Amino acid sequence: MRFPGLVENELLKFAKQRRFRVVVLILVALIGLIVFAQSRARERFQNKDWRVETQERMARIQNWLRDGRMPASSRRWATFELGRLQYHLERDIDPEAISGPLFARAFANASSYLLLPLLAIVFAADVVSAEFQQGTIKLLLTRPVGRARVLASKLVAQSLAITLTVVFGGIVAYLFGGLAYGWPGWSAPVLTGFRVGGAVFDPSTVRAVPLWEDAILVYGLAWFATLCVGAIALLTSVLLRSTAASMGTMLAALIAGTILPRLASQWEAQKFLFVTNLPLPDYYSGSPPPIPGLTVELGATVLAAWAAAAILVAFAVFVRRDVLA
Amino acid sequence: MASAEIVLSAENLTKRFGDREAVSDVSFEVRAGEVFGFLGPNGAGKTTTIRMLVGLARPDRGRVRIRGLDLAHHFTKAMAHVGAIVEAPDLYRYLTGRENLEHFARMLPPGAGARIEELAAMVALSDRLDDKVSTYSLGMRQRLGIAQALLGEPDVLILDEPANGLDPAGIREIRQLVRRLAAERGIGVFVSSHLLSEIEQTADRVAIIHRGRTLASGSVRELSARSASDRVRVRARPAAKAAEKLSAFGQVETAVPLDALPVSGDGSGDGLVVARIPPDRVPEALRALLAEGIEVFTVERPSSTLEEVFLEITGGETV
Repeated sequence: MRFPGLVENELLKFAKQRRFRVVVLILVALIGLIVFAQSRARERFQNKDWRVETQERMARIQNWLRDGRMPASSRRWATFELGRLQYHLERDIDPEAISGPLFARAFANASSYLLLPLLAIVFAADVVSAEFQQGTIKLLLTRPVGRARVLASKLVAQSLAITLTVVFGGIVAYLFGGLAYGWPGWSAPVLTGFRVGGAVFDPSTVRAVPLWEDAILVYGLAWFATLCVGAIALLTSVLLRSTAASMGTMLAALIAGTILPRLASQWEAQKFLFVTNLPLPDYYSGSPPPIPGLTVELGATVLAAWAAAAILVAFAVFVRRDVLA
Repeated sequence: MASAEIVLSAENLTKRFGDREAVSDVSFEVRAGEVFGFLGPNGAGKTTTIRMLVGLARPDRGRVRIRGLDLAHHFTKAMAHVGAIVEAPDLYRYLTGRENLEHFARMLPPGAGARIEELAAMVALSDRLDDKVSTYSLGMRQRLGIAQALLGEPDVLILDEPANGLDPAGIREIRQLVRRLAAERGIGVFVSSHLLSEIEQTADRVAIIHRGRTLASGSVRELSARSASDRVRVRARPAAKAAEKLSAFGQVETAVPLDALPVSGDGSGDGLVVARIPPDRVPEALRALLAEGIEVFTVERPSSTLEEVFLEITGGETV
C-alpha cells in the first residue's frame, strides 16, 4: 500500500541531513587512516622472515605466561594466541599475511563492537527524537496513517541505512586494503574455529574455508549486531525524545561494553548484556571471548532478544503516549 | 448555514494533567463552510483542546467526531478528512517546500501529489517552492503549512493561532485565505486565537474558552448583542467637567479599553469620556453639557465589540 512511500520519506530525511555525509566521511577517513598507519608499521619489518618473527612472538608470550602475573582474561588470550601461532607455523602459513580482502574482513571484526554501532546510533538515536525537537511530530502523527505504521517505516528505513553503512564500510575497506596490499586473495583459505577449552588450546575444531565465505559470515554477523544496536537506539529515541540524551545514553552503554569485560571478566552475568555481545565476528572467528561461556550462538540470541524487546517497548510507548511537546 | 453538515464536533472533552484539569467539559460543533473561532487567553486550554481534536492527546473523558467518525476508534479514516497546523507551522527545515509537500502527500491516498502546484499557487509560494524551508519567513512557513493541510482535500481545517508572529499584512492574507476556503470549498475551518480582533474579523461563530471551560458560544453578532451597549463616547472640552456632568446620568467609565486618548493632566483639554447612559436620556445629558458651556465635538455609540464581551465574561482578565 502506502508503506513504501513512508519508508521513502524516512530515507529522504536521512539523505537530506548532514549526518549521512558525516557517516560516509568518517568511514573513509578512518579506514584510510588505519591502512596508512598499518602499512607504515609493516614497512619496518619487511626485511625480516615471518617465521623468525612468529617464533620470537611465541617466545615472548611464553615468557609472559611463565611470569605468572597475568590477569586471568589475558592468560586465556595468551594461551589461545600461542596455539594459533603454533598452528600456522606447523602448516607454513604466515599468520600475519595481509591482502586487500583480508584487510576488508579484518575491518568487520575491528569495527563491530564500536565503530559500526556508533554509526548506527548516529542514524537511529534521533529518528524519533528529531521529529519531537523539530515539532514535525505533530504533522507526522496527524496524517491518516496509524502511529504503528509511522514507527515501522522508521525502523525499516534506519535498518536500510545501517545495511548500506555496513556494505559501504566493507567496500571502502576493500578499496583501501586493495590499494595498499593488493586486490586478489578472496579464495585464499583462512583458518577458523580456534577455541580454548579450559586452560589448553584445542585445535580440533579448526578448519579452512575460502576467505570470501568467511568474509560474508563475518560481515553478516557485524551487520546483525549493528541492526540490533539500531533497534535499541530507536527505543532510547522514543523514550527520551531528545537526540542528545538518546545519543549520550547509547554511547555510555557502548563504552561500558568495551570496559566491563576487561575490568570485571569474573562477573559472568554480563554476557546477557547487549554491549558485551557486539563483537560477534570475533566470537565467530574464534578469538577467546572475554567472558567464559560466550559463543556466537549465545551472543546472537542475546542480541536478538534485546532488539526484539526494545522494538516491542518502543512501539507500545510510541503508539500510546500523548504528544504534548 | 444551520442546515450544513457538522464536520467536526467535540463532546465534553476533558483532559487532566496530574490533578489539574487543563480542559473541562468542552463541547462545540463546526459546520461545513463556516469559520469557527476558538478564543481564549494563553494557557486557557486552547492548544490542549486542539491536540485532542487531532488525536495527538487522548481525552480523559469525552469524544471527538470528524464527519461523524469517532476519532478514538477510526483514527486513520477520520484524519483523512482533516488538515491541521498545531501550534506552529513546523515543517522539515532542511527540505525544500516542494519536498515537504511531497513528503506529506506520500502519507495520503494517491493523487495528493498532483495538487502540489495548484496549492503552492494558491498560497503564493510557487516561486519559492524549491528553496529550503529554513530560508522561509514565518509567514511563508505558515502558508506552506496551510498548503500542506489542504493536500488531502480536507473537510475540516484546524489552525492553531495562525496569526502568531505575522505582520499585519501577513495576518490579512491568512484571514482572506481562510474566508475563501470556507466560502469556496465549503471547508469547516476551526481557528484558535488569543487575539479578539482576529477572531472577530474571521469567524462566523465563536466559542470563548477560559481556564479550560467554554464560557460562551454563538455567532459573533449574538455575542456582541449580549452585552447590549449603553455606552456613549463623547469627545468634549474640558473633559473633566464633562465627565462630572455626565456622571449624573450614568456611570462614567474612566478606563477605556480601546483607542483611549489620555485626558490631559488638569482635565481642561480635549478628552474622550465614555459613560453608560440609557439611550433615552442621551439628549438630556447633552443639553446639560451645552448648558455648562462645555464644547462637544463628537457623540457616538460604539458598537459592542467581542472584546467587551470577552472582558465581561472573563471578569476583566486581559488577553
